[in-house]
Amino acid sequence: MNEPNAPATFQLPEQMSTIAGDVDWLYYFIYWLSVVLFVAIVGAMVYWAIKYRERPGHKAEPTGHNVPLEIAWTIAPLFILAFLFHKGFQGYMDFDVAPAGAMEIRVNAKQWGWEFIYPNGGTDNELHAPVHRPVKLVMVSADVIHSFFIPAMRIKRDIVPGMFTTAWFEATHVGQDDIMCAEYCGGRSKDPNGNELPFAQMTGHWSMHSMVHVETEADFTKYLLGIGDKCAVFTAHGQSCPGNILVEAGQSLYTKKGCVACHTTTGTKLVGPSWKGIWGKQETTDHGLVKVDESYVRESILDPQAKIVAGFPPTMPPFRGQITDTEIDEITSYIKSLKE
Amino acid sequence: MFRRCRNMVVTERTKMANVSEPLQVPGHEESHPDFLQHHFDTPAQQFGAAKLGMWVFIATEILMFGGLFCAYAIWRGQDPKVFDEAHHFLNKILGASNTIVLLFSSLTAALAVRSSQVGKRNLTSFYLVVTIACACIFLVIKYFEYSHKFHLGLLPGHCFGHPGLSAAIQNGEEVGTCLRMDVNSASVMPEWVRAVDEEGHVTLLSPRANMFFGLYFVMTGLHGLHVVIGMSILLWVLYKNVKGSFSPAYFTPVDLGALYWHLVDLVWIYLFPLLYLVGKPE
Amino acid sequence: MAVVDIPVAGGAVGHAADEHGDPHANYLKAKSGIGSWMYTLDHKRIGLMYLTMVSIAFLVGGIFALLVRLELFTRGKTIVDAETYNRFFTLHGAVMVFLFIIPSVPAALGNFFLPIMIGAKDVAFPRINMLSFYIYLVGVAIILTSIVMGSVDTGWTFYTPYSVQTANSVISMTFGVFVLGFSSILTGLNFLVTVHTMRAPGVRFARMPLFVWGMYATALIQVLATPVLAITLLLLIAERFFGIGIFDPKLGGDPVLFQHFFWFYSHPAVYIMIVPGMAIVSELIATFSRRAIFGQFAIAMSSIGLAVLGFLVWGHHLFTAGMSEFATMVFSALTFLVAIPSGVKVFNWTATMYKGSILWASPMLYAMAFIFLFTIGGLTGLFLGTLSVDVHLTDTYFVVAHFHYVMMGGTVIAFLGGLLYWWPKMTGKMHDERKAKIGFWFVFVGFNAVFIPQFIMGSRGMPRRYYDYLPQFQPFHQASTIGSWILATGLFITAYTLLEALWKGKKAPRNPWNSAGYEWMTDTPPPLANFHAAPVYTRGPYDYHLATPEELATGPDGREIGYKDGHVSALPEHGRH
Repeated sequence: MNEPNAPATFQLPEQMSTIAGDVDWLYYFIYWLSVVLFVAIVGAMVYWAIKYRERPGHKAEPTGHNVPLEIAWTIAPLFILAFLFHKGFQGYMDFDVAPAGAMEIRVNAKQWGWEFIYPNGGTDNELHAPVHRPVKLVMVSADVIHSFFIPAMRIKRDIVPGMFTTAWFEATHVGQDDIMCAEYCGGRSKDPNGNELPFAQMTGHWSMHSMVHVETEADFTKYLLGIGDKCAVFTAHGQSCPGNILVEAGQSLYTKKGCVACHTTTGTKLVGPSWKGIWGKQETTDHGLVKVDESYVRESILDPQAKIVAGFPPTMPPFRGQITDTEIDEITSYIKSLKE
Repeated sequence: MFRRCRNMVVTERTKMANVSEPLQVPGHEESHPDFLQHHFDTPAQQFGAAKLGMWVFIATEILMFGGLFCAYAIWRGQDPKVFDEAHHFLNKILGASNTIVLLFSSLTAALAVRSSQVGKRNLTSFYLVVTIACACIFLVIKYFEYSHKFHLGLLPGHCFGHPGLSAAIQNGEEVGTCLRMDVNSASVMPEWVRAVDEEGHVTLLSPRANMFFGLYFVMTGLHGLHVVIGMSILLWVLYKNVKGSFSPAYFTPVDLGALYWHLVDLVWIYLFPLLYLVGKPE
Repeated sequence: MAVVDIPVAGGAVGHAADEHGDPHANYLKAKSGIGSWMYTLDHKRIGLMYLTMVSIAFLVGGIFALLVRLELFTRGKTIVDAETYNRFFTLHGAVMVFLFIIPSVPAALGNFFLPIMIGAKDVAFPRINMLSFYIYLVGVAIILTSIVMGSVDTGWTFYTPYSVQTANSVISMTFGVFVLGFSSILTGLNFLVTVHTMRAPGVRFARMPLFVWGMYATALIQVLATPVLAITLLLLIAERFFGIGIFDPKLGGDPVLFQHFFWFYSHPAVYIMIVPGMAIVSELIATFSRRAIFGQFAIAMSSIGLAVLGFLVWGHHLFTAGMSEFATMVFSALTFLVAIPSGVKVFNWTATMYKGSILWASPMLYAMAFIFLFTIGGLTGLFLGTLSVDVHLTDTYFVVAHFHYVMMGGTVIAFLGGLLYWWPKMTGKMHDERKAKIGFWFVFVGFNAVFIPQFIMGSRGMPRRYYDYLPQFQPFHQASTIGSWILATGLFITAYTLLEALWKGKKAPRNPWNSAGYEWMTDTPPPLANFHAAPVYTRGPYDYHLATPEELATGPDGREIGYKDGHVSALPEHGRH
């Protein structure tokens, strides 16, 4: 059962991970065992309740003893239960121990949502994973206990503040499934004044819903590029980052980081200078003349109050601690590309 | 096997008519003394039941404290170094004094039972008074220990490093408390504490030591509450003794009260070494 | 032949009437006035007062359940907002567990029947019995205050850190539960001492009625487990009020430690809930099969076995909580072990019916329903004890359905059966059997309708304690809610039947069910001192072949002089041999 791929049954969701097959086999084993035992016990009870029902001429027979029978039905179940324990524990070890070399994705759980952080530093609120590759989730909580649950993968693990907990899966086919929180963590449905919020604004344990998207390697790579440091895919393989990748990344950061709020790329002046044609210019600042080069762009991002271009207010917030060096490179490339 | 025995017994007794014994007839002091409750048949049965009941109750108390000893074991195993440093702030002399006081009070409690058993009412009262006095001494010594820690800021949880339960000092005034229930204290965290320990060494305790003092205060505090409860029970027994309720035939409350007191003592016998004594040699 | 006092004209010599009342008078009439109830020391009256209170608690908890299910009828908001819903399911759990089910059988039926069944005049400590009831009332008052003052939304399990951080009345609620714990401990203490010191001559442990064995095993658990709950709740209160930090990772504490402490009590607690129910079922099956319980010794020992093993398996509530692999392995193995005593009981009860003479009276319907429903509950426990399968099923509706099958399909069903069985003995009135049976079928069908959809929802991935849910679960939720209305109807019919009997019921004969049980040998209702003459027992409580027709209230030609379908008849209308 290396590639469990069965579709959803009446009782169980579809199988989407390598461990799902064994879990389901054991589930149905217990199910049919239970059916047999239930039919035997309740069947005997109802049959005898009817056959020996109280009526004129029928007497109850005094109860005898049958010690061998009693010993038998005390010992025999032990064997079945030992088997269940053994298979269950085996399956649990498969669930618990991630294969070496699994790709680590960090999971931040908080009231009330998920954040996934990928190896390239990119973040998203939904989980994407490549098919046929083990993924190890390293999970932390910002506040209370949550629990990470993907039914189709048959995995679930509590996320406890103050410690890292892990879970892993290897998806067996492309598709998607729900991610849900499985440990009650509260909720909010009233505003600070105590008035009830509309349903759409109520949030809590039940609304910590996300999706896991299992995709092909190619799609997954594209996804990583889309959310994160586009250069990481290249530098991780020892290659240099192609220029157009940097420019595209920078353009995306222009919006994502909020530069667009104060700087245009069309020449129009807003709160801050427009980036169009700014590269290489000599600007007059409150600390003298300065050339717009890599150093100046870097300083303006990390420590904007150092030099303010004349005619503009000193209101740009510093991005120190909130931006990586690579992202600074990407924005620099983008600015460079905005010729007059 | 059961069935055969039963058959034999039944065959014998079916020969007799319904066998009944009359219920206790009132009016005979020997067979129905004042202290014998109406649902018991004999004083011996009543005493046996009372004693068993008290032992069962003591078992429940042991389980309750057991949870705390469990917590102690877990944290000590996890942070032995912090425990060792923190325990030097407990005064061994005071702790040992308390141990001797309680052991002595257990002796006087047992002597009170013996005196009651032989009918010496005044001697019983004397021993009970001494036991209660010892309990008071214990509580006074505890008060000194607690207030010393209060002033040094050796307090549990968020209050560690906050002498006097203060959250912050602004303009020379205390602002809010470090108690969790105080809204202003929401972000108060334990601090480092630099102080002179009981052996005279200047020690720097990390904020993690808050756990030691949390356990210290909860364990000794719960024990102290039981000392107060035990005292109250013994005061009531003293009152009943002075009124003349007890005799060699009936001294159950003295016996049970002393038994409870022995439990209170026993818990301290465990607390003292675990909190005050156990640690790396000097 | 047992002895005891078939009421004989003239009676035997006994106590004269004293300030407790005439010991030979019917206990309900021995003294009157509200003071005679509030200050009573009579275990029977205390049992009835407990019964009244737990019934009210069941009603309150049941209303919360109906509200929860009503909210879940449709997606989105149906009747209340999310914070209110969170409080509803928390209170449903807390009220049902702490105010209803833990006290229910021991404090109501146990208090009433344990002394009678061992031939004693009362429990060992009647004043402590009364104290236990007063403590219960105080606990209820604190919890009601807590509900009114803002209530709790943590789930009945109060997991940290959420229970430390949430802005609700956690302290008052947990303190109320703390107080209730003392009530439980004192009841257990009383029963243990009573069984050890007050058995009448002839009541050897091997002959003790199985109901008493069940109460004894339950008392062991009450006494040993509840103190751990006490310290757990105290630590939670200290954490919340003083910020002690034992469960707070930022101060060096561990939130999972709370779970270990909590479940160390709460798992044995579920055996406090089920063992008394099983004890009732033993009595019902014996009486209504007219046969001694098969494997009587094994049933007695299995109650003790559950009490002991129940302390060793708390970790199975923490399989996904972050325990070590070694711990999960040990707890899974022990969990399977604890299944064996329950299985032994079910097999023995069923075997008792073989070649018996089965009367399909309403108490027996409940006993058979117990076997049906508890078997399902127990078998679904196998899924949850199996580690790899539990990972998928834990914290889903599968667990919710499992524990409702054992707690409600088990204990509540047995409790209702016991009430119908012993109603004549306690009240002296016969209820209407036809209404009782109609009520039973509504309860049985309704119960399954509520919870079978929940098994399926759970295994399909529906988590617990959700205010809203994904669209694919809607049909299951709707079926479950409709089931809850059917179940509620059945419960109301049953309650009505019992209450109606008090006013309109026919006078009950001494032994309407022709049982050989010890409690049926004395008056119905019992006299204040339980017996007219001190009993001596020369046969076991299930020895139908040794009991006389007089004791069994079957006429001289073997025909019943009891009752059929609510009609008391001195004429032989139908025979029970």
